[in-house]
Amino acid sequence: MGNAATRGSSTVSEQAGFTRHGDNAFIAQFSESEREVLINLAGQIIELLSERVDHSDDDPLAAMVGITSHDSPPDDEVLLRLLPNAYADGVDAAEFRRYTESVLRNKKKAHAMSMRVLLKSASDGGIELDHENANAWLGAINDIRLALGVRLKVEERTHDELELLAPDDPLRGVYAVYSWLGWLQESLLQALMDDTSNEVN
Amino acid sequence: MVKTKSKIEEEIQAIFNSDKPWVTIVWDDPVNLMTYVTYVFMELFGYSKERATELMLKVHNEGKAIVSTGSREEMEHDVARLHEFGLWATLQRGDQAL
Repeated sequence: MGNAATRGSSTVSEQAGFTRHGDNAFIAQFSESEREVLINLAGQIIELLSERVDHSDDDPLAAMVGITSHDSPPDDEVLLRLLPNAYADGVDAAEFRRYTESVLRNKKKAHAMSMRVLLKSASDGGIELDHENANAWLGAINDIRLALGVRLKVEERTHDELELLAPDDPLRGVYAVYSWLGWLQESLLQALMDDTSNEVN
Repeated sequence: MVKTKSKIEEEIQAIFNSDKPWVTIVWDDPVNLMTYVTYVFMELFGYSKERATELMLKVHNEGKAIVSTGSREEMEHDVARLHEFGLWATLQRGDQAL
């Protein structure tokens, strides 16, 4: 598993990330550039998840219940990580995908849309989430990190290799955003877990 | 008569139970944060922080862990929810080698 960047890192902004206010409010203040980056990334995830055109239009009933005509895993490496196989066995995986992939796409899109809409309406950069919104944001931030992680080849590279990318390497900026998102996600998790640790299980 | 009936019920129960031990497995990946994986286990399965942390560490240290068991349908539901939150999960029969 990955580790969140610490605040001392040069890639991390001067903001505090998310902090908890009362029982059900998680607040963060974003700079204009941070807000723009998040809106843009959420938009890209929404676009990516919308890309694959299926032919369920041919069968209105199938479209209504979310059955798609395709059952093969996505060709794109990023999409495959966002929409993974549920079974090791190819036949079972295809069957499961056929009945569930469009639902999964829509749920992920809803997470990213929730994040995007809130950010767009917060022209001063101030964001307040409740528990439900916070879960959508966690899912959306995570999908963005998964997508960036594929592009960064996080599977193959060590943390140190990524830290030492050359200044002119275009991936350097991607890694900075990836690290910042990890830090932001961690701050939201810490704010949420404050609550959960107080509950009696 | 009563005995026979309960025996049939037992057999029927056994048939349904034979479909029971399916498992959901979560696999380690280098992107998902440890805190995030713990949180998702707590949110989706209602596990205590201790249990969720223990499972997260098992995934992290051993590369995979069984996070829930039940019928095939239940495990498909669990896998779908884990995928929604970006965890790398699969399901299989519990008697299959991990």
